[in-house]
Amino acid sequence: MKRNIEIAAAGSVLLAFVAGLAAPPDAVQGDLQRIMYVHVPSAWLAYLAFGVTLVGSIAYLVTRRLRWDRLAASSAEVGVVFTGLALATGSIWGKPVWGVWWTWDARLVLTAAMFFVYLAYLALRRSIEGAERRARRSAVFGIVAALQIPVVHFSVVWWRGLHQPPTVLRPDNPQIDAPLLFALLMAVFAFTLVYVALVGRRMDLAAAEDLLNDAPRPDEDVAGAAVTAPQVGGAAR
Amino acid sequence: MSDWGWVAFAYSIVYGALIAYVWSLAARARRVRGR
Repeated sequence: MKRNIEIAAAGSVLLAFVAGLAAPPDAVQGDLQRIMYVHVPSAWLAYLAFGVTLVGSIAYLVTRRLRWDRLAASSAEVGVVFTGLALATGSIWGKPVWGVWWTWDARLVLTAAMFFVYLAYLALRRSIEGAERRARRSAVFGIVAALQIPVVHFSVVWWRGLHQPPTVLRPDNPQIDAPLLFALLMAVFAFTLVYVALVGRRMDLAAAEDLLNDAPRPDEDVAGAAVTAPQVGGAAR
Repeated sequence: MSDWGWVAFAYSIVYGALIAYVWSLAARARRVRGR
């Protein structure tokens, strides 16, 4: 199943890449609009990934099963990658279209803040010893951090800035022509499959790391070892 | 830079980063298995 998802992800990314290049240029922005076929899916996955971190965090606190904690952590790590890509591609698009790499627009600032908050989440995880304690504290952080997701999304509606308001996810009809919308939805679908495949791999790695951390190290003194397992033959340690 | 140059720049960042991340996951998994 996992292998099938990875193959489907690779194939759909290839198709989305071709669809993005084959789509007609935008009437106003020309070919620069093609950057949207990687920028928008990256931004969407930032929301999805951090939303899954929220779900995993709540599920861990309810069930106390470490599998949920691994899901939350894995999704946060992949989400940070995609948030960084959304910021980078937005900046690359901004330079030729807006004339600047960066501006203090609400959407940009809040997205950057979200990026740093989830970097802090990952740093917090590395600083806590003990799987249970780490999972509990990270879950609380993951729930509080998720409060910013709707603020980031609606920032373009609540505050007037340079960043355009939603094009597809809006109350009335999407303001984009069908061929461009098709290429965009292809890219969103492909990147979502990539996200699922990456989180699956990252969860496997997290489970292996947990097993390794729980196992006693060969050079580690185990409490009571001198009583229950005396060394014979004067073996040097 | 031309419009296509900016597009190529953005795409290379995205696909390069994704390939690097997949590679890092594989390297970390190999390291864990080796310990």
